[in-house]
Amino acid sequence: MTLIGDLKTLNLVDILQVIAKDRKSGILLVEWKDLTVAYYVKEGEVIFARPVDRVFRVYSDRDFDTLIEKLRIPGEKLHKTVERFLIERLDDREGVFSFTPGFIRYGSSYPVVHPVEKLIMLASRNLTKEEVERKISDELLVFEPSPNGLEILDKADTNEAERRIFSLVNGDKTVADIRREAKMDNLTVDRTLYGFLALGIIKRKKREKKQKPSIALDLLMKIIERIREK
Amino acid sequence: MKPIKKIKVVVAGPFAAGKTQFINTVSDIKTVKTERKITAEGEKNVKEYTTVAMDFGKIRIDDEHELYLFGTPGQSRFDFMWEILGEGALGIIILVDSTDPSTFHEARRIINFFQSRFPVSMVVGVNKQDLPNAWPPEDVSTALDIGEDEDIPVLGLSALNKEDVKRVLLTLLELVKKELTG
Repeated sequence: MTLIGDLKTLNLVDILQVIAKDRKSGILLVEWKDLTVAYYVKEGEVIFARPVDRVFRVYSDRDFDTLIEKLRIPGEKLHKTVERFLIERLDDREGVFSFTPGFIRYGSSYPVVHPVEKLIMLASRNLTKEEVERKISDELLVFEPSPNGLEILDKADTNEAERRIFSLVNGDKTVADIRREAKMDNLTVDRTLYGFLALGIIKRKKREKKQKPSIALDLLMKIIERIREK
Repeated sequence: MKPIKKIKVVVAGPFAAGKTQFINTVSDIKTVKTERKITAEGEKNVKEYTTVAMDFGKIRIDDEHELYLFGTPGQSRFDFMWEILGEGALGIIILVDSTDPSTFHEARRIINFFQSRFPVSMVVGVNKQDLPNAWPPEDVSTALDIGEDEDIPVLGLSALNKEDVKRVLLTLLELVKKELTG
Protein backbone atom coordinates (compact mmCIF):
# COMPACT_ATOMS: atom_id res chain seq x y z
CA MET A 1 0.00 0.00 0.00
CA THR A 2 1.43 3.39 -0.97
CA LEU A 3 1.81 5.92 1.84
CA ILE A 4 0.99 9.42 0.63
CA GLY A 5 1.25 12.74 2.45
CA ASP A 6 2.46 16.32 2.56
CA LEU A 7 5.75 17.35 4.17
CA LYS A 8 4.03 20.33 5.77
CA THR A 9 1.97 18.04 7.99
CA LEU A 10 4.14 14.92 8.17
CA ASN A 11 7.82 15.82 8.13
CA LEU A 12 10.83 13.75 7.10
CA VAL A 13 11.44 12.58 10.66
CA ASP A 14 7.94 11.09 10.73
CA ILE A 15 8.32 9.47 7.30
CA LEU A 16 11.74 7.99 8.04
CA GLN A 17 10.38 6.74 11.37
CA VAL A 18 7.67 4.74 9.55
CA ILE A 19 10.18 3.42 6.99
CA ALA A 20 12.73 2.46 9.65
CA LYS A 21 10.21 0.75 11.95
CA ASP A 22 9.87 -2.51 10.05
CA ARG A 23 12.99 -1.96 7.94
CA LYS A 24 10.88 -1.41 4.83
CA SER A 25 12.22 -1.55 1.28
CA GLY A 26 10.81 0.43 -1.62
CA ILE A 27 10.77 3.84 -3.26
CA LEU A 28 10.19 7.14 -1.53
CA LEU A 29 9.24 9.74 -4.08
CA VAL A 30 9.25 13.40 -3.05
CA GLU A 31 7.90 16.07 -5.35
CA TRP A 32 9.84 19.03 -4.06
CA LYS A 33 8.95 22.50 -5.27
CA ASP A 34 11.83 22.54 -7.75
CA LEU A 35 12.33 18.88 -8.65
CA THR A 36 11.13 15.35 -8.05
CA VAL A 37 13.52 13.00 -6.31
CA ALA A 38 13.32 9.22 -5.98
CA TYR A 39 14.91 7.83 -2.83
CA TYR A 40 15.78 4.15 -2.95
CA VAL A 41 15.17 2.43 0.36
CA LYS A 42 16.57 -0.99 1.18
CA GLU A 43 15.67 -2.56 4.52
CA GLY A 44 15.01 0.81 6.12
CA GLU A 45 18.17 2.48 4.76
CA VAL A 46 18.14 5.24 2.14
CA ILE A 47 20.94 4.00 -0.11
CA PHE A 48 20.54 6.14 -3.22
CA ALA A 49 18.72 9.23 -4.48
CA ARG A 50 18.17 10.56 -7.96
CA PRO A 51 16.12 13.35 -9.47
CA VAL A 52 13.66 12.19 -12.11
CA ASP A 53 12.07 14.28 -14.83
CA ARG A 54 9.25 11.77 -15.32
CA VAL A 55 7.91 9.64 -12.48
CA PHE A 56 7.35 6.63 -14.74
CA ARG A 57 11.12 6.36 -15.19
CA VAL A 58 11.38 5.22 -11.57
CA TYR A 59 8.99 2.40 -12.20
CA SER A 60 10.54 1.31 -15.47
CA ASP A 61 13.90 0.56 -13.80
CA ARG A 62 12.98 -2.07 -11.28
CA ASP A 63 16.34 -3.79 -10.97
CA PHE A 64 18.59 -1.66 -8.79
CA ASP A 65 21.91 -3.21 -9.84
CA THR A 66 21.08 -2.68 -13.51
CA LEU A 67 19.99 0.88 -12.77
CA ILE A 68 23.20 2.00 -11.08
CA GLU A 69 25.21 0.24 -13.74
CA LYS A 70 23.27 2.15 -16.38
CA LEU A 71 23.80 5.41 -14.49
CA ARG A 72 27.49 4.54 -14.05
CA ILE A 73 27.52 5.23 -10.34
CA PRO A 74 30.03 3.15 -8.39
CA GLY A 75 28.64 1.60 -5.21
CA GLU A 76 31.05 3.52 -2.96
CA LYS A 77 29.67 6.83 -4.26
CA LEU A 78 25.98 6.11 -3.76
CA HIS A 79 25.97 7.99 -0.44
CA LYS A 80 26.96 11.22 -2.21
CA THR A 81 23.51 11.27 -3.83
CA VAL A 82 21.88 10.91 -0.40
CA GLU A 83 23.90 13.89 0.82
CA ARG A 84 23.04 16.03 -2.16
CA PHE A 85 19.36 15.21 -2.60
CA LEU A 86 18.28 14.42 0.95
CA ILE A 87 20.60 15.79 3.63
CA GLU A 88 20.86 19.17 1.92
CA ARG A 89 17.06 19.37 1.80
CA LEU A 90 16.22 18.52 5.38
CA ASP A 91 14.97 22.03 6.14
CA ASP A 92 12.67 22.13 3.10
CA ARG A 93 8.93 21.60 3.73
CA GLU A 94 7.50 22.33 0.30
CA GLY A 95 6.70 18.93 -1.08
CA VAL A 96 4.45 15.92 -1.23
CA PHE A 97 5.67 12.39 -0.76
CA SER A 98 4.66 8.85 -1.58
CA PHE A 99 6.31 5.70 -0.35
CA THR A 100 5.69 2.53 -2.33
CA PRO A 101 6.90 -0.59 -0.56
CA GLY A 102 8.57 -3.39 -2.49
CA PHE A 103 8.72 -2.85 -6.21
CA ILE A 104 12.49 -2.48 -6.65
CA ARG A 105 14.68 -5.58 -6.74
CA TYR A 106 17.86 -5.10 -4.76
CA GLY A 107 20.66 -7.53 -5.45
CA SER A 108 24.04 -6.92 -3.88
CA SER A 109 24.69 -5.34 -0.54
CA TYR A 110 25.39 -1.64 -0.66
CA PRO A 111 27.43 0.50 1.71
CA VAL A 112 25.37 2.54 4.17
CA VAL A 113 27.33 5.67 5.03
CA HIS A 114 24.33 7.51 6.46
CA PRO A 115 22.26 5.07 8.53
CA VAL A 116 18.57 5.94 8.86
CA GLU A 117 19.10 6.62 12.58
CA LYS A 118 21.59 9.33 11.66
CA LEU A 119 19.24 10.76 9.00
CA ILE A 120 16.41 10.95 11.54
CA MET A 121 18.59 12.85 14.02
CA LEU A 122 19.83 15.20 11.29
CA ALA A 123 16.22 15.84 10.22
CA SER A 124 15.19 16.43 13.84
CA ARG A 125 17.74 19.24 14.13
CA ASN A 126 15.82 21.11 11.43
CA LEU A 127 12.35 20.86 12.96
CA THR A 128 10.48 24.09 13.58
CA LYS A 129 8.89 25.06 16.89
CA GLU A 130 5.47 24.32 15.45
CA GLU A 131 6.57 20.86 14.30
CA VAL A 132 8.08 19.80 17.64
CA GLU A 133 4.92 20.86 19.43
CA ARG A 134 3.06 18.09 17.58
CA LYS A 135 4.83 15.45 19.67
CA ILE A 136 6.36 17.35 22.57
CA SER A 137 2.97 18.91 23.19
CA ASP A 138 3.06 19.15 26.95
CA GLU A 139 5.92 20.09 29.26
CA LEU A 140 4.57 17.63 31.82
CA LEU A 141 5.22 14.65 29.53
CA VAL A 142 7.57 12.07 31.02
CA PHE A 143 9.82 9.84 28.93
CA GLU A 144 11.98 6.89 29.83
CA PRO A 145 14.87 5.23 27.96
CA SER A 146 13.92 2.21 25.83
CA PRO A 147 15.64 -1.08 26.70
CA ASN A 148 17.77 -0.85 23.51
CA GLY A 149 17.97 2.96 23.60
CA LEU A 150 21.75 3.13 24.04
CA GLU A 151 22.35 0.81 21.12
CA ILE A 152 20.25 3.02 18.78
CA LEU A 153 21.86 6.15 20.20
CA ASP A 154 25.26 4.90 18.99
CA LYS A 155 23.98 4.44 15.43
CA ALA A 156 22.36 7.89 15.43
CA ASP A 157 25.65 9.79 15.45
CA THR A 158 24.44 12.11 18.19
CA ASN A 159 26.36 15.13 19.39
CA GLU A 160 27.39 15.99 22.93
CA ALA A 161 24.29 18.11 23.62
CA GLU A 162 21.97 15.32 22.49
CA ARG A 163 23.77 12.77 24.64
CA ARG A 164 23.46 15.11 27.60
CA ILE A 165 19.71 15.35 26.98
CA PHE A 166 19.51 11.55 26.81
CA SER A 167 21.26 11.30 30.18
CA LEU A 168 18.47 13.40 31.70
CA VAL A 169 15.67 11.12 30.49
CA ASN A 170 15.00 8.78 33.40
CA GLY A 171 11.27 8.07 33.60
CA ASP A 172 10.92 10.61 36.35
CA LYS A 173 11.84 14.00 34.95
CA THR A 174 9.25 15.93 32.96
CA VAL A 175 10.02 17.76 29.74
CA ALA A 176 10.07 20.97 31.82
CA ASP A 177 12.70 19.45 34.17
CA ILE A 178 14.86 18.31 31.24
CA ARG A 179 14.64 21.72 29.58
CA ARG A 180 15.70 23.40 32.82
CA GLU A 181 18.53 21.00 33.69
CA ALA A 182 19.94 20.76 30.17
CA LYS A 183 20.65 24.50 30.20
CA MET A 184 19.99 24.72 26.48
CA ASP A 185 17.31 26.51 24.53
CA ASN A 186 13.93 24.75 24.62
CA LEU A 187 13.81 24.16 20.87
CA THR A 188 17.09 22.17 20.93
CA VAL A 189 15.81 20.01 23.78
CA ASP A 190 12.43 19.45 22.11
CA ARG A 191 13.96 18.64 18.72
CA THR A 192 16.22 16.08 20.37
CA LEU A 193 13.36 14.46 22.30
CA TYR A 194 11.32 14.35 19.08
CA GLY A 195 14.16 12.58 17.26
CA PHE A 196 14.75 10.17 20.17
CA LEU A 197 11.05 9.32 20.25
CA ALA A 198 10.98 8.69 16.48
CA LEU A 199 14.01 6.41 16.78
CA GLY A 200 12.67 4.51 19.77
CA ILE A 201 15.62 5.65 21.92
CA ILE A 202 13.08 6.88 24.44
CA LYS A 203 9.39 6.13 24.94
CA ARG A 204 6.50 7.67 26.80
CA LYS A 205 6.48 6.51 30.37
CA LYS A 206 3.82 3.89 30.87
CA ARG A 207 0.86 5.29 32.77
CA GLU A 208 0.05 4.07 36.22
CA LYS A 209 -2.29 1.12 36.24
CA LYS A 210 -5.66 1.78 34.63
CA GLN A 211 -8.58 2.29 36.95
CA LYS A 212 -10.62 -0.83 37.64
CA PRO A 213 -13.72 -0.74 35.41
CA SER A 214 -16.87 0.04 37.39
CA ILE A 215 -19.04 -2.67 35.87
CA ALA A 216 -20.05 -6.15 37.00
CA LEU A 217 -18.57 -9.00 34.97
CA ASP A 218 -21.97 -10.59 34.21
CA LEU A 219 -23.28 -7.30 32.82
CA LEU A 220 -20.14 -6.87 30.73
CA MET A 221 -20.56 -10.38 29.34
CA LYS A 222 -24.16 -9.55 28.49
CA ILE A 223 -23.03 -6.45 26.56
CA ILE A 224 -20.42 -8.49 24.68
CA GLU A 225 -23.02 -11.10 23.79
CA ARG A 226 -25.51 -8.44 22.66
CA ILE A 227 -22.97 -6.80 20.34
CA ARG A 228 -21.92 -10.15 18.89
CA GLU A 229 -25.56 -10.83 18.03
CA LYS A 230 -26.20 -7.48 16.38
CA MET B 1 -40.87 0.56 35.81
CA LYS B 2 -37.20 0.36 36.72
CA PRO B 3 -34.98 3.19 35.53
CA ILE B 4 -32.61 2.25 32.70
CA LYS B 5 -28.94 2.12 33.74
CA LYS B 6 -26.58 3.65 31.21
CA ILE B 7 -23.12 2.38 30.33
CA LYS B 8 -21.01 4.83 28.38
CA VAL B 9 -18.40 4.39 25.64
CA VAL B 10 -16.78 7.48 24.11
CA VAL B 11 -15.85 7.70 20.42
CA ALA B 12 -13.24 10.43 19.90
CA GLY B 13 -10.83 11.44 17.15
CA PRO B 14 -9.80 14.29 14.88
CA PHE B 15 -12.14 16.21 12.58
CA ALA B 16 -13.72 14.04 9.84
CA ALA B 17 -12.37 10.76 11.24
CA GLY B 18 -15.80 9.12 10.84
CA LYS B 19 -17.08 9.18 14.44
CA THR B 20 -20.70 9.99 13.57
CA GLN B 21 -20.75 7.22 10.96
CA PHE B 22 -19.23 4.74 13.41
CA ILE B 23 -22.02 5.34 15.92
CA ASN B 24 -24.70 5.38 13.25
CA THR B 25 -23.60 1.99 11.91
CA VAL B 26 -24.13 0.14 15.17
CA SER B 27 -26.73 2.19 17.07
CA ASP B 28 -30.28 0.88 17.62
CA ILE B 29 -31.62 4.38 17.13
CA LYS B 30 -30.89 6.98 14.50
CA THR B 31 -27.90 8.89 15.86
CA VAL B 32 -28.87 12.05 17.71
CA LYS B 33 -26.63 14.69 16.15
CA THR B 34 -25.66 18.20 17.17
CA GLU B 35 -24.33 19.35 13.83
CA ARG B 36 -23.83 22.80 12.44
CA LYS B 37 -22.90 23.95 8.98
CA ILE B 38 -19.12 24.44 8.71
CA THR B 39 -17.91 27.97 8.17
CA ALA B 40 -14.12 27.53 8.61
CA GLU B 41 -12.52 27.70 5.16
CA GLY B 42 -10.13 24.72 5.44
CA GLU B 43 -12.77 22.45 6.98
CA LYS B 44 -15.52 23.33 4.49
CA ASN B 45 -13.68 21.42 1.77
CA VAL B 46 -13.78 18.21 3.80
CA LYS B 47 -17.46 18.04 4.79
CA GLU B 48 -20.46 20.31 5.00
CA TYR B 49 -21.61 19.72 8.59
CA THR B 50 -19.66 18.99 11.78
CA THR B 51 -20.50 17.86 15.31
CA VAL B 52 -20.41 20.76 17.78
CA ALA B 53 -21.50 19.19 21.09
CA MET B 54 -21.78 15.43 20.74
CA ASP B 55 -23.35 12.60 18.78
CA PHE B 56 -25.29 10.03 20.62
CA GLY B 57 -26.40 6.51 19.79
CA LYS B 58 -27.42 3.56 21.94
CA ILE B 59 -27.66 -0.21 22.04
CA ARG B 60 -30.28 -1.81 24.24
CA ILE B 61 -28.71 -4.57 26.36
CA ASP B 62 -31.74 -5.73 28.39
CA ASP B 63 -34.72 -4.23 30.18
CA GLU B 64 -32.47 -2.46 32.65
CA HIS B 65 -29.36 -1.50 30.71
CA GLU B 66 -28.36 0.45 27.62
CA LEU B 67 -24.94 0.99 26.11
CA TYR B 68 -24.56 4.65 25.14
CA LEU B 69 -22.11 5.67 22.45
CA PHE B 70 -21.04 9.30 22.66
CA GLY B 71 -19.15 10.88 19.78
CA THR B 72 -17.06 13.92 20.62
CA PRO B 73 -16.58 16.94 18.37
CA GLY B 74 -13.33 16.59 16.41
CA GLN B 75 -11.96 20.10 16.61
CA SER B 76 -9.76 20.87 19.63
CA ARG B 77 -11.65 24.13 20.18
CA PHE B 78 -14.43 21.92 21.58
CA ASP B 79 -12.11 20.02 23.95
CA PHE B 80 -14.17 21.11 26.97
CA MET B 81 -16.75 18.62 25.63
CA TRP B 82 -14.15 15.84 25.61
CA GLU B 83 -13.66 16.39 29.33
CA ILE B 84 -17.42 16.26 30.01
CA LEU B 85 -18.06 13.21 27.83
CA GLY B 86 -15.06 11.26 29.12
CA GLU B 87 -16.31 11.33 32.72
CA GLY B 88 -17.51 7.87 33.79
CA ALA B 89 -16.75 6.21 30.44
CA LEU B 90 -16.21 2.45 30.45
CA GLY B 91 -13.75 2.81 27.59
CA ILE B 92 -12.63 5.07 24.77
CA ILE B 93 -12.38 4.47 21.03
CA ILE B 94 -10.14 6.84 19.10
CA LEU B 95 -10.87 6.95 15.38
CA VAL B 96 -8.28 8.12 12.85
CA ASP B 97 -8.79 8.82 9.15
CA SER B 98 -6.16 6.58 7.55
CA THR B 99 -6.31 8.53 4.27
CA ASP B 100 -5.41 11.85 5.92
CA PRO B 101 -1.94 11.76 7.53
CA SER B 102 -2.24 15.47 8.33
CA THR B 103 -4.52 14.45 11.23
CA PHE B 104 -2.19 11.84 12.77
CA HIS B 105 -0.47 14.25 15.16
CA GLU B 106 -3.84 15.58 16.30
CA ALA B 107 -4.97 12.00 16.93
CA ARG B 108 -1.97 11.43 19.19
CA ARG B 109 -2.78 14.63 21.08
CA ILE B 110 -6.32 13.35 21.63
CA ILE B 111 -4.96 10.00 22.89
CA ASN B 112 -2.71 11.89 25.34
CA PHE B 113 -5.66 14.03 26.47
CA PHE B 114 -7.85 11.05 27.35
CA GLN B 115 -4.98 8.94 28.74
CA SER B 116 -4.01 11.66 31.20
CA ARG B 117 -7.56 12.33 32.42
CA PHE B 118 -9.37 9.00 32.14
CA PRO B 119 -7.12 5.96 32.66
CA VAL B 120 -9.58 3.50 31.13
CA SER B 121 -9.29 0.96 28.30
CA MET B 122 -8.67 2.43 24.86
CA VAL B 123 -8.69 1.15 21.28
CA VAL B 124 -7.58 2.99 18.13
CA GLY B 125 -9.68 2.44 15.01
CA VAL B 126 -7.87 3.21 11.77
CA ASN B 127 -10.87 4.18 9.67
CA LYS B 128 -11.56 4.45 5.92
CA GLN B 129 -9.56 1.33 5.08
CA ASP B 130 -11.95 0.83 2.16
CA LEU B 131 -10.63 3.96 0.42
CA PRO B 132 -7.62 4.23 -1.88
CA ASN B 133 -4.50 5.74 -0.27
CA ALA B 134 -5.44 4.42 3.16
CA TRP B 135 -2.38 3.94 5.36
CA PRO B 136 -2.19 0.39 6.83
CA PRO B 137 -3.01 0.20 10.57
CA GLU B 138 0.56 -0.83 11.51
CA ASP B 139 2.04 2.29 9.84
CA VAL B 140 -0.57 4.55 11.44
CA SER B 141 0.35 2.97 14.77
CA THR B 142 4.01 3.89 14.19
CA ALA B 143 3.10 7.42 13.12
CA LEU B 144 1.04 7.79 16.30
CA ASP B 145 3.99 6.53 18.41
CA ILE B 146 1.84 3.89 20.04
CA GLY B 147 4.26 1.88 22.11
CA GLU B 148 3.95 -1.87 22.48
CA ASP B 149 3.52 -1.56 26.23
CA GLU B 150 0.77 1.07 26.01
CA ASP B 151 -1.80 -1.72 25.69
CA ILE B 152 -3.76 0.11 22.98
CA PRO B 153 -4.89 -2.24 20.18
CA VAL B 154 -4.85 -0.60 16.73
CA LEU B 155 -7.41 -2.00 14.29
CA GLY B 156 -8.23 -1.20 10.69
CA LEU B 157 -11.89 -0.66 9.79
CA SER B 158 -14.45 0.97 7.61
CA ALA B 159 -17.06 2.71 9.78
CA LEU B 160 -19.60 1.91 7.06
CA ASN B 161 -19.17 -1.80 7.73
CA LYS B 162 -21.16 -3.09 10.69
CA GLU B 163 -18.92 -6.12 11.28
CA ASP B 164 -15.85 -3.85 11.41
CA VAL B 165 -17.53 -1.53 13.92
CA LYS B 166 -18.62 -4.49 16.06
CA ARG B 167 -15.05 -5.85 16.01
CA VAL B 168 -13.66 -2.56 17.32
CA LEU B 169 -16.32 -2.38 20.05
CA LEU B 170 -15.76 -6.01 21.04
CA THR B 171 -11.99 -5.49 21.21
CA LEU B 172 -12.56 -2.61 23.62
CA LEU B 173 -14.97 -4.66 25.74
CA GLU B 174 -12.57 -7.62 25.84
CA LEU B 175 -9.89 -5.21 27.08
CA VAL B 176 -12.26 -4.02 29.81
CA LYS B 177 -12.91 -7.66 30.70
CA LYS B 178 -9.16 -8.26 30.97
CA GLU B 179 -8.86 -5.27 33.33
CA LEU B 180 -11.77 -6.56 35.39
CA THR B 181 -10.58 -10.12 35.74
CA GLY B 182 -6.81 -9.60 35.56
